[in-house]
Amino acid sequence: MKRYVEVYKQCMYSAVQTASAYRMNFIVSSLITLIGNILFPLVTLLIYRAGTSFPGWSLYEVLLIQSVFTMSSGLSSLVFGGVMWTTMSHVREGSFEVVLLKPLNPLFYLVATTFSTESAGLFLGGAALFVFSAWHVGAIPALAWLQFAGMFFAGTAVLAGLSLMMAAMSFKWVGNSRISELADSVLSVGKYPLPIFPKAVQAAATMIIPVGMVGFLPASALLGRVGASDFAAILPCFVFLWAGIWVYRHMIRLYEGVGG
Amino acid sequence: MNRLKHNWRICRSVAAVTYKEWSAYRTHSLVSVIVGPVYFMVQYFIWTAVYGGQATLGGLDLQQMIRYFGATALIGYLIMDFADWNLSMLVRTGKFLTFHLRPVDHRSFALFQKLGHRFLGFVFEFLPCLLIFILIFGIDMRPASLPWTIVSVLLAFLMNFYVNYTIGLTSFWLVQSGGIRSAFMLVSGIFSGALIPLDFFPHWLQVTQLFLPFQYIAYMPAMVFTGHYSLGGLELSIPEAVGMQGAAVLVMFGCNELVRRRAMKQFTAVGA
Repeated sequence: MKRYVEVYKQCMYSAVQTASAYRMNFIVSSLITLIGNILFPLVTLLIYRAGTSFPGWSLYEVLLIQSVFTMSSGLSSLVFGGVMWTTMSHVREGSFEVVLLKPLNPLFYLVATTFSTESAGLFLGGAALFVFSAWHVGAIPALAWLQFAGMFFAGTAVLAGLSLMMAAMSFKWVGNSRISELADSVLSVGKYPLPIFPKAVQAAATMIIPVGMVGFLPASALLGRVGASDFAAILPCFVFLWAGIWVYRHMIRLYEGVGG
Repeated sequence: MNRLKHNWRICRSVAAVTYKEWSAYRTHSLVSVIVGPVYFMVQYFIWTAVYGGQATLGGLDLQQMIRYFGATALIGYLIMDFADWNLSMLVRTGKFLTFHLRPVDHRSFALFQKLGHRFLGFVFEFLPCLLIFILIFGIDMRPASLPWTIVSVLLAFLMNFYVNYTIGLTSFWLVQSGGIRSAFMLVSGIFSGALIPLDFFPHWLQVTQLFLPFQYIAYMPAMVFTGHYSLGGLELSIPEAVGMQGAAVLVMFGCNELVRRRAMKQFTAVGA
């Protein structure tokens, strides 16, 4: 375990060193990500500016959902964001053997070596929006913060599981750079209040592919809008992460090393 | 006349070869058959909730809004382009040099490639998604005027290409135009009207859009499809709107030609 922590620390250090070597690229990428995040809730702002709303949700409450979503995406992208692209590249070029030959768990090796410093901008942009919207929704009790923390990490686990599943898919769907769009489209459900969707979509978004946990449920916890049944949705999140790890490891066993 | 015939043959050959080349990856296009309807479903429920009891928003009723998003999604499949990325890669690697040895200039070659690539998009993205929108979502996807919609989509196709190609040309100075590309995609995503109709923007921003290329890429063809165009207080009939779009494409082509000539003087043919 200690060895793994040491390796991870070393990889993080290398990622930061790489970013500082190409600091202009790093600054520009981070800035664009940051601005992109500021503009992300623009649709929500324009909808409320037009004098309408998501029924039962104020502007700042919706912004809170979207900020939590962005923070969760940033955190997941920081740690797991590069796994899919690196896996895809190795599989296409037939060089995944190089990963398999390393004296480390291949999944851990890929996660550690693809630490994505650019995603810091995504997390920070989300955090800035989070502080702004949380400030406007009124006092939040300590218990709500505790519930939020638990749900936030469950949501990040969902994103990690989704990243691993997409990466696993690239073993069979060789060289398809559009795989990530599948995840992005499903995740778009989690950016808005779930009650606007039909019951079937709500159920799928909390129990099957629990994207509701990425933004909506943690924000609802802060707003004191969660019931006991909502906490039951935490379990499927970790099951989803476990499923992502299992599928990825299974696909490694199927890898034939011929390239695409 | 012979020259025109010759160019047509080149266009047909490049488009056909690109079609065949990308047909090998046709399942990649089929991702759109899942992604497009999922995004559309999300938009459908967002706007159904937002309309609530309101009859119109931004000058559109709910049905028109749903049709608008259906149209922008479908038009996106017909005009999708990555000429900027491609050109940037050719400049960075020095492979652009090989295009100086060919009997066709790179811009025309890239345009013909796009034609072939998007014909594939028409078959594997546009048609399946159109059927899903009509048969599963029950959306009326009949354009207000088919001929004007076709002309407008063709102009949007050219506008998107020339804008992207101009972005790609910046690689002759910057070598790596990834940052500019990302920034442009970000701005274009918002101001093209693909996320929300431009009528929702503040008045001054709507007026600004009349002088920028973004609205001619998605918003205008989608509005031509719905049969009603207005922006920044300017109400135009469909032929007038398409005429304005045609003029905008000519201006963009002029800008592109200007930048292209300067870029060719900058080209050193050694790559990065």
